[in-house]
Amino acid sequence: MIQLFHVYKSFGGTPALRDVSFRVRKGEFVFVTGPSGAGKTTLLRIMFGAEKASSGHILINGINLGRIRRKQIALLRRRIGFVFQDFKLLNNKTIFQNVALALEVTGANPSYVRKKTRQALRSLGLIKKEEAYPLQLSGGEQQRVAIARAIVKNPLILLADEPTGNLDPDLTREIMVLFRTIHMKGTTVVVATHNRELLKGTAIRKIYLEKGRVIKED
Amino acid sequence: MGKLLYFIRQALLNISQNKLIHLISLGTISIAILILGVFLLLLVNVEGWIKNWGGSITMSVYLEDNLPKRQIAVIRQALSSREGVEIQRFISKEEALIELKSALGPQSELVEGLTRNPLPASFEIAIREPKTDPASIKRELEGIPGVVEVQYSEAWIKRFRGVMRLVRVGGMMLGGLLCLGVLFIVTNTIKLTIYSRKEEIEIMKLVGATDWFVKIPFLIEGFIQGATGGLLALVSLFVFYLIMASNKGIFLSFTLLEVVFVPHFYMTAIVGLSSFLGFLGSLMAVGRFFEV
Repeated sequence: MIQLFHVYKSFGGTPALRDVSFRVRKGEFVFVTGPSGAGKTTLLRIMFGAEKASSGHILINGINLGRIRRKQIALLRRRIGFVFQDFKLLNNKTIFQNVALALEVTGANPSYVRKKTRQALRSLGLIKKEEAYPLQLSGGEQQRVAIARAIVKNPLILLADEPTGNLDPDLTREIMVLFRTIHMKGTTVVVATHNRELLKGTAIRKIYLEKGRVIKED
Repeated sequence: MGKLLYFIRQALLNISQNKLIHLISLGTISIAILILGVFLLLLVNVEGWIKNWGGSITMSVYLEDNLPKRQIAVIRQALSSREGVEIQRFISKEEALIELKSALGPQSELVEGLTRNPLPASFEIAIREPKTDPASIKRELEGIPGVVEVQYSEAWIKRFRGVMRLVRVGGMMLGGLLCLGVLFIVTNTIKLTIYSRKEEIEIMKLVGATDWFVKIPFLIEGFIQGATGGLLALVSLFVFYLIMASNKGIFLSFTLLEVVFVPHFYMTAIVGLSSFLGFLGSLMAVGRFFEV
């Protein structure tokens, strides 16, 4: 599903990723971990087409990101859900509108958008808050809205960048349960986190990054 | 259809979320287009007036001496049967001499000593086809047997045509500058609305919106702005026309002149041009704004 071959990325001469190669199979759940500045966010952004690798190849569902046109990136993103650390919700739009946006941009018809958005909100326990605005919700609820937006289009891959970075331990557990549920429905999930506590006692595959290099996998 | 409605809704939402910017921009566009409209209105009217009275050319058709009355009648017939020619009067040799004397006034003694009348009889005619080259009409009339020469005020016609050409060129330059101004205003307004929605655009792109999906509402927004500006300008122009028509004596010192509004073609052109400029301005604004 995701394949990286000798990927390098540097910003103005400062290396962010060095010779990163790994493969994530279809339906797999993977943690990408490492200290701050290890290159986790850059790696996810490259996998999402938000950054271009300086060299190397990235294949997402068989599509080579190095040879893809701008319009195809947009189409690819419709098949990838991305959960941002800072949620990236629009404060002037309701919860419903925030989640529906991910479907509206695909040109889906309004009745389909309504049906799927309500479905996603219901599955994340947010249906009663659909008319609320993001700033009226708690941090955990906002993160759940961001997840709802990411899964509303039934993505093949779900990428999450420090999804629990701003949350307390209880909410962190709650969000991780949500990711496992999404994974169990067949979605490939990649979660970037620096939170070692999150990784303890799980049999989930982990890729360790340090100074832009993959230092180990287990 | 569903998509188009979505785009129009987004464009209207953009406008309502940036009311002040849009109002200022709309006012400026309307004024610029109104200036252009006023210029057109004046041009249309001045051209009309000139065509009605100044546009007709007066010519003098001089005849050979001592032509029999029958021959003069044949010439009159030849002149009046030509399309666009209107005989204003016939001046006999005697009448020509009397007119010369009265024109000379105190110096009329100069012609007193003449032993014979040297002035030719003539027809004064008006040509009601200002677009036809007067030189070719002159040549044509000089071919009539019994006609010696045809004269007209070539200098005046040239001056008149020169002035009209200058007015048109000046109008085009002014119009061009105003159009550039409108483009500049629309481009900047749309850029401001893009900046105000930068976060939303970024998120739209991140969840899979194509460039055009994001751009189209802004293009519609520019088009709406241009079209509304054009319509407002047209309404204002009509008000200006009504004021001008009811106060033409004060405005123009000629109460007999008829003031007309711009023809339908120009009305459509004003709104069309304004809408096109709005669209073009927004197209320039959205150029490469969305590198996410």
